[in-house]
Parts: sequence; structure tokens; C-alpha cells
Amino acid sequence: MKRSKHFRYTLFLIFIMVLAVLSAGEYADADSTAMKFPQPQGSVNDFAGIIAPEYRLSIKSISDNILAKTGASVVVVTVTTMEGADPAEYANRLYEKWGIGKEGKDKGVLIFLALKERKIRIETGYGAEGIIPDGLAGEILDRYVMPFLKKEDYSRGLYNAVAAIASVIASDAGITLENVSQPRQLQRDAVKRSTPNPLSYIILFIMAILLIGTRRGRRMLPYLLLAILMGGGGGRRAGGFGGFSGGFGGFGGGMSGGGGAGRGF
Amino acid sequence: MSKGKRNFIIVIAILVILIVSFYSFLKGSYNSFVSMDESVKASWAQVENQLQRRYDLIPNLVETVKGFAAQEKEVFIGVTEARSKVGTAASIPQKIEANKELTGALSRLMVVMERYPEIKSNQNFLRLQDELAGTENRIAVERRRYNETVKDYNVKIRIFPSNILAGLFGFEKATFFEIPEAAKIVPKVSFK
Repeated sequence: MKRSKHFRYTLFLIFIMVLAVLSAGEYADADSTAMKFPQPQGSVNDFAGIIAPEYRLSIKSISDNILAKTGASVVVVTVTTMEGADPAEYANRLYEKWGIGKEGKDKGVLIFLALKERKIRIETGYGAEGIIPDGLAGEILDRYVMPFLKKEDYSRGLYNAVAAIASVIASDAGITLENVSQPRQLQRDAVKRSTPNPLSYIILFIMAILLIGTRRGRRMLPYLLLAILMGGGGGRRAGGFGGFSGGFGGFGGGMSGGGGAGRGF
Repeated sequence: MSKGKRNFIIVIAILVILIVSFYSFLKGSYNSFVSMDESVKASWAQVENQLQRRYDLIPNLVETVKGFAAQEKEVFIGVTEARSKVGTAASIPQKIEANKELTGALSRLMVVMERYPEIKSNQNFLRLQDELAGTENRIAVERRRYNETVKDYNVKIRIFPSNILAGLFGFEKATFFEIPEAAKIVPKVSFK
């Protein structure tokens, strides 16, 4: 049965080719940003190392509290340098990259400080713009933050920024903030799978029947399974780092439209 | 199974597979053109939202500033005229052009205001200044996202083999919103 052998191999080859064509349709587009960002560590990301430990704990506690009660995510980031980037653009891209706040809700606030450039910025997510308009963000900076930053008391300045923002969010939600905070449950982010083409399943099904129908076909089954596994493994991360952000569940694909205010100190 | 019957099955099977995979390629390409085209439109709508936001902010800003520097008439006239041009612009290129002019007029206004130190202590002005800077930044963000979307879309309809299909279905290149020259002055306002 020489012909039968050819028949099966031809089918198998075509099968592989079809899989290749189907999966080649989606090309992975490269990250459009040239900027490199560090991985988030939780609500306080003191990459510049300028926040005193006791302030770090207080900020964490406020941030956890406000997240648990209102669902708003308040995140502090300090960096030593932005390497020439514009602070507004850097903060916005960082916000998007980390996905502060839940996707679609975008209720998040990023307090960003660049040490070498001496810039501070409050970046509000789409869902926080209404609660903290740009004018208010600027006022918070002028009133509670700038006086301390000018004295190089970064811990106090950043703490004040978080406290002021938290109280605005809390009063908007109609709640009061206590000092006690409960540790948040670790939240894993949802992994988005790209929806497979139903046609590829139909083809697989037809081919499977053809192949299982004979002994030689059955012998090919392991290769077939391998091919399916290789073709269908295209899971895609949704963005957000809930898994390794120190137990802080405030990341989840949130976006910012560039709202907020910035100052140089 | 006779020889002829088997050959027939082989031919049919190959034909079915070819047709199905071609159809699937066609469908996939067309649908991704459509969804990318829609993304371009959606991100342009976001840009327009922010342009509108700035447009709405201007009367308030001009009123506040007038109280401090009434003699700077030509600057106010420049802003008001640029704003009314934005209001009458209809097509996307017209809107882009008119908004470039408005960006220039606004940055001139803010530069002139630097000469009036007493305005810096006015709470209302400071708020408006932050709102304006925030809006300029929002425009920059949405413009960047729009341009990125346009780039992805333009690449998609120009690379082989999807360029053939794009031509066939009539999908055309989208236009970029280039950064206006005058906008480069604006960050000075946001970080004074």
C-alpha cells in the first residue's frame, strides 16, 4: 500500500502548512516604546531610595486602605533619573505599562518623582480625572508637597501627596479613612487568551478522523498532538503585575489620558 | 477502495483544505483591517475630545487673565481668533491646522503672563494654568496614541501580502497628526 503511505504523509504536510498559514496571520508587534521601566514592587516603588522606612509603611497602609475601600489605586514611584525623557510622557507611559487601576475603570493615581531632574508629577488615570481635576492636583502639590521637596524632605512630601489624594478620594466615595489597614489578598491578573479561529478546529477535526482511521494514522497521532500544542500556545498577557507586586492588588491594566499636574522643585 | 476513488478523495481533500485556508486568510485579513480602521477612528475621537476640552477652557482662562493684564489686547485677540478658527474647522486636516495655531496663540499668552508676577498668587489662575497644562498634556498623550494606531494600521495595509487585499477592499492610509512646532514651547508652562 505505497499510495496509502503517500496519502497520509501528504495530508500531514498540508495539515502543518495550514497551521502555519493560520498562525502567521498574527504578527507580534514590537513594544512601541523605547523607554525601559522597572518592574512594580507594590504601592511604594522607591527606586531612588529616598523614602524613610516609617513613611514607606504609612504610605503603604494608606494605599492599601484606600484600595480596599474605594477600589482606587494610589501608587508612588521615585526614580533617580528619566534619562532625558519628558516627565509628563515618562509618567504617562509608566502608568500605562504598569496598568495602575483596573482595566476599564482606570481609577488610579500615580505620584511620580524624578530625583536628578527634580520633577514631581501627579498623574491621574481616566477614572480618577473627575475626582482629582488637574487644578486640584496642582494645588495639592503647591500646598502640601512642594514646601517639603524644596527642603529635600522627600519622605514627608510624598507622604503628604498620598495622604491628600487619599482624603480626596475617600471624601468623594463618602467614607472615612482609619489608620488600621488589613493586608490585601494577593491578586493574580487575568491572562487574556487570543481567541482561536474556529475553522482551524474544524480542519483539525477532519484531519483527526482521517488520521485515526488507519494504523499509520494512529502512529502519527503523537506528532499531531505536538503540532496542536505548538499552534495553540499563543496566550497573551493582559498587562498588570498583580502576581509579583508585593501583595498590592492595584495593578490591572488601567490607563491614563495624561491628566494631572507637574512641578519642578 | 479502487484507485480512482482514492485519487478523487485526495484531490477533493486538498481542494477543500486550500479553499478553507484561503477563505480563512481572507476573512482574517479583512476583519483585522476593519478593526484597525475602527481603532484609528476611535483614537482620533479621543484626540478631538481633548481638543474640545481645551476649546471650552479658553473663555474662562481669557476672562481671568484679562483682569490682570487688560492692556495685552493683541494677545487676547490672537487667542480668541485662533479659537474661533478651531470652532469653524470641518475636516480633519483643517482641525489639525487650526489647533496648531491655537496652541501657538496659547503659548504666547502664557509667556506674556510671565511678566505679571501678581497673577501667580491668584488661586483661580493657578488652577486654570494647571487645567490648561493638563489638557495640553492630554492632547499630547492622545495624539501619540493616535499616531501609534495610525502607524500600526498603515504598516498592516502596506506589508505583503495584506497590501494586495487592502487595495482590493479599498482601505487607505490614515494621516498622522504631526507635532506642531509651537507645541514644543508648551512644556515650559506645565513645569514653570
